[in-house]
Amino acid sequence: MKRKIAIVGYAQTRHESDAANTREGMVFEAAKGALDKAGITREAVDTVINVSSDYQDGRTISNLFLVMAEGAYLKDESKVEMDGAFGVLYAMMRILSGNHDTALVVGVTQGSIFNPHQISFYTVDPTFDRQIGLLNDVSAAAIQAKMYKNKYGVSDEQIASVSVKNLVNAANNPYAHRKISDLTVQKVLDSKLYYDPIRELNISSISDGACAVILASEEKAKEIADAPVWIKGVGSCQDSYLRDRNLLKLKSLEIAAKKAYEMAGLKDPFTELNVAEVTERFSHEELMIYEALGLAKEGEGKILVEKGVTERKGQMPVNPSGGALGADPILATGLVRMVEAAKQIRSEAGKYQIQGVRQALAHGQTGLCAQSNIVFILGGES
Amino acid sequence: MQRNVAIIGCGQTKHGRLRDVNTAEMIAEAAWKAMEDANVSPDEVDAIVVGNMQGFGGIYDTELWAGELFGAPKPFLRITTGGTTGGSVAHGGYYSVASGLYDVVLAVAWEKHSDSKERGASTGLAHVAMANIFHTMQQGASIKWLVSLATGAATGVSAFQASCYMYRSGCKVKHLDMVAAKSRRNAAKNEYSHLRWPNCTPEDIAKTEWVSYPLRFGHVCPASDGASAVVYAEEEIAKKKTDRPAWIKGVAAYADEPNLMGENSQGTAITDLSEQLQCILSAKAAYRRAGIKNPRKEIDMAEIYQPFPHQELMFSERVDLFDDGKAWIALEEGQTEIDGSMPLDPSGGVLSTNAIGSSAMQRVLECALQVMGKAGKHQVPKDVKNAVAHGWGGATNFTTITIVGDSPRK
Repeated sequence: MKRKIAIVGYAQTRHESDAANTREGMVFEAAKGALDKAGITREAVDTVINVSSDYQDGRTISNLFLVMAEGAYLKDESKVEMDGAFGVLYAMMRILSGNHDTALVVGVTQGSIFNPHQISFYTVDPTFDRQIGLLNDVSAAAIQAKMYKNKYGVSDEQIASVSVKNLVNAANNPYAHRKISDLTVQKVLDSKLYYDPIRELNISSISDGACAVILASEEKAKEIADAPVWIKGVGSCQDSYLRDRNLLKLKSLEIAAKKAYEMAGLKDPFTELNVAEVTERFSHEELMIYEALGLAKEGEGKILVEKGVTERKGQMPVNPSGGALGADPILATGLVRMVEAAKQIRSEAGKYQIQGVRQALAHGQTGLCAQSNIVFILGGES
Repeated sequence: MQRNVAIIGCGQTKHGRLRDVNTAEMIAEAAWKAMEDANVSPDEVDAIVVGNMQGFGGIYDTELWAGELFGAPKPFLRITTGGTTGGSVAHGGYYSVASGLYDVVLAVAWEKHSDSKERGASTGLAHVAMANIFHTMQQGASIKWLVSLATGAATGVSAFQASCYMYRSGCKVKHLDMVAAKSRRNAAKNEYSHLRWPNCTPEDIAKTEWVSYPLRFGHVCPASDGASAVVYAEEEIAKKKTDRPAWIKGVAAYADEPNLMGENSQGTAITDLSEQLQCILSAKAAYRRAGIKNPRKEIDMAEIYQPFPHQELMFSERVDLFDDGKAWIALEEGQTEIDGSMPLDPSGGVLSTNAIGSSAMQRVLECALQVMGKAGKHQVPKDVKNAVAHGWGGATNFTTITIVGDSPRK
């Protein structure tokens, strides 16, 4: 990278359902919180990237009325309509270009206003798949989960234990939405069936929430923050449409991760990373993510969760915050992953702090069956 | 050390009611034309930036379904900001290369109005503000007052803006007729444009009915289908691939608070819609980044985003090509014609072709064509060294400015 870039401030709202708050209110809370955390005011921000979606919000130009709430008025502003982590990528590009030195990224979705599972129907091929009416994000994930189970002999219990791990972890996270400290595999298997084998507790918890991150160039970061969290690597890739790719593999995530590792100089992610925060919209997806990130061999993601490797106290903790299963404010989710990774590096994660985190991974995704993926490697010391 | 970035290829579809292609095919046509024009293969493209106003086409994140027709799997970035979407996508492509993360980037923007029942921005945009209107009603505001603000959507707001501008500048409806006629005439020279009317006169426009004073039917943009794409490259590749790249010298996209209603219609917002502070700031920042000190001398032509004719006059002043309130005099003198001293919208502009998501991208593309000397029949008859591409949107509160030039920034 031409310039070093750091995260110098961040904040998120409590993620919940039917929030008694407007999108504007949530965005303000997150943006103001991030500025306060960085110890700067609006005036010190050069550019603002909003992350929201016209479809998720049910209105055209979803960033239009957020200009005041996020403090973007009379500033260079734009909107990324993908996962929040892609918003961070665009903000990074703006700083790397030399036009800007500091950037604020704010993501928001109120998932409880419009059911995102229904909205996902509008992402499928409008000519064939929409007319047939069978595909949405959950049914597509069910097809993927079945293929994955059959090919690699993964059991429902192994998939359920991902939910158990993440939702129990979420119980320690004051910002998480779905916290179940006494969850068991059996309870997951007894939860409501959506599309076989996907059950209610296998699906991410649709939330209302906002999250904000402030980025700064090296010079500014050292001025602003005592302990900046450096972006050491980033990679992203978008796969072909559902019907035209191998659903058994998250190929685009594999490519994204490889690129991010290369940039960060990581040779063995399993030993060099201390914690990973990933966006798992469905519990089987987390197992596939392990494999695509190179933390497990092909088809062996189940072993990590079975042996407790990815538990909070395990060798390679994944989603100690509870992940997307614990709270999924759709477009803000990737941003939340970055914030949670940064908190681990700065030892601010409280009850779910992992000891001695020096390098962390954050992952965001957009599209059915994790079609478009982005991976960030964050690190503490400069 | 800032990286120099250039447009090395452009592609667009014909605009109009495109019933023989679906959205994916339409986007792919523009994207492939741009790649062919740039002499790059899809393998050489490192990343793709896309955008449209997805509510209009009725498809959520079209590129997830259509992406493989023009490059997936690759890194994609979807950037959308309403009317300015095309400008924002163009900026996204520029920043992708300027960041040093990628060397060759395809940026593509589109709209396919005819696929949905949405009647386009000119009448059907009230839902932009619907959530805020309902919220304000909850707070006790009268529905009559709120509806009066939202009625007519883009046309309604623009009619109000035109009145503000006429009051400010002393320009008359006949000047709007002149701008509209010029736009239709210019469009007739542009093989890709939608509303084409050779030899159109202001009198022809003046015969059309009133829509919302001071705007007539002849003053309103169409709702077009179409896509446009450009390929960006870093300096060395750009010089290798083309003899005359169109260099991106400066970009800026300032936002203001939404006009008219302000925060929950508390009346805290700007009431003079012809002020356009965000446009003034964007132009200043873009000129500064481009190293342009005297735009009136250094800029050779401009593509202004003008779905309604007063906007061509108003925004040409806001980007500092004319004094505030004086553009109509330049219009009367013929300065803004294709062969004038400051040609505005030689392509026919948004007034003649409005595939919304793509419209602001087209302004950048058209400036690039003029700089590269590839604009064909609507090429301005002088050497274009620097050109301004303008985009406008939001609730009159977003602007994108791109300065395109024939030499890299120093």
